[in-house]
Amino acid sequence: MGHYIELSTFDLFLAVGLIVIASAISLALQLGLTRSLAIATIRCILQLGAIGLILKKIFQINSPLLVIAWLAIMLYMASREAVRRSRSKYRGIRLDALLTMSFTSLVVGLLVTQVVIKVRPWYDPQYVIPIFGMIFGNSLNGICLCLDRFLEYLRSRRHEVELRLCFGATRQEAVIEGARQAVRTGMIPIINNMTVAGIVSLPGMMTGQIVAGASPIQAVAYQIVIMFMIAASNALGSMLLATLAARRLISHYGIELPHSKR
Amino acid sequence: MLPPFLLFVKKISMRKSQSSRPLDHSRQFYCGPIDFIDPMGRHLLQGITLTLTPPCLCVITGPSGSGKTSLLRAICGLNKAQVHKRILDGKAYPDKKLPQWRAKVTLLLQDAPCIQGTIEQNLAFPFSFRNSPYKHFKHQEAKRLLKQVGLDHFDFDHNIEGLSGGERHRLALVRGLLWSPPVLLCDEPLSGLEPELADRCFQLLLDFSRTRPAIVLCVLHEERFARLANITMRLKDGTLHRT
Repeated sequence: MGHYIELSTFDLFLAVGLIVIASAISLALQLGLTRSLAIATIRCILQLGAIGLILKKIFQINSPLLVIAWLAIMLYMASREAVRRSRSKYRGIRLDALLTMSFTSLVVGLLVTQVVIKVRPWYDPQYVIPIFGMIFGNSLNGICLCLDRFLEYLRSRRHEVELRLCFGATRQEAVIEGARQAVRTGMIPIINNMTVAGIVSLPGMMTGQIVAGASPIQAVAYQIVIMFMIAASNALGSMLLATLAARRLISHYGIELPHSKR
Repeated sequence: MLPPFLLFVKKISMRKSQSSRPLDHSRQFYCGPIDFIDPMGRHLLQGITLTLTPPCLCVITGPSGSGKTSLLRAICGLNKAQVHKRILDGKAYPDKKLPQWRAKVTLLLQDAPCIQGTIEQNLAFPFSFRNSPYKHFKHQEAKRLLKQVGLDHFDFDHNIEGLSGGERHRLALVRGLLWSPPVLLCDEPLSGLEPELADRCFQLLLDFSRTRPAIVLCVLHEERFARLANITMRLKDGTLHRT
């Protein structure tokens, strides 16, 4: 099915020419971006190169333990990044993010790889690693937006939450409005993506499959599964994280405000 | 010409003492001993215990910064004070049951916060809670109370955004009275009200304590109201003294 053009090292050197164009513009307009552009270029090459080598090794060894270990590392990095991006924090935020991401990616990832795609053997890294990777990357975004919105709600409307508590509201009843807003915020990006998919943008995975020679219909089928998977993981993740954050921040003694980074 | 506060005393003719009544222990409210160390490390409340029996309106005064607000918040469980025992109607409420306790020992917060939305939403929201004793919002009762505090010119679906501070305080009072808990804690419920309105609102609290019958615990500055209370207490140096 189709053909596939392999890229050589020389082709990559040609691609660096594109970066030269970008830096030339930066120099001409005195954007002051040349230095960071250079650093970004080098980081990009090194990081992706390293990942390529690591993935190649993992694919070769093809051991379930190794795949799981690699997923665990990705999971940890993703949850750390989600917390780092959030504008305010509270004690225990890292653990909450890690728990949320582990649970949602486990549920959604297993459903997709084992029930929908039926990967055999179950740990086949060719499928498992990219699919889990996409779940991590996208739920990172969703969780981050959700967390930000929820903490912002608690900060700006703490008096309302307190008022509800005063009249005997349980923890859930006191923050339900904030949790609702937060989950909605966490889900907006994926809903937008699903709405314009194929019209405005060709999603990355679909593009990749088409270039690699898969039939467009198969690429679309995969993409649909991936989109729904991301929607599910974002919804589940935002809801879970809002619940966990509420548990920590609304104690028996009222509200403990998250502290801001700035 | 009598000074205004005496006129007021005449008008409402309070029974000053409740001590002749036999004590009804089954309806008793007990909270304490309360210890609270504020975030700055001051020992603000030092082993305070409150025992009250309805009907009773109790006014707490004290110099500013003496911990009056902290005391009310400690009673309803909204700060990290140590409260050894909370008992109402012979039933104990440990920390786990604080939401149930707050539904019965309800605090009207200082500065009368409101939720975003309409007047009706502001009055009705507690009735949707699991701990609410009744699930229906009492329209007629709400209307009557709004009229009594002079807020009847607003429709139920009026947005509260434009309400002034005084109007918010009266709305908060109506919310509390409509909720009708056995114990109502009020943190400066009359601040920002003109004297005439403040008198009317205080009268409502008095009537509420007598007819429900309920315990109303008020932090107030105005001396003239303290005179009308069944019990007045002064909070100073971490302890409560009956005055």
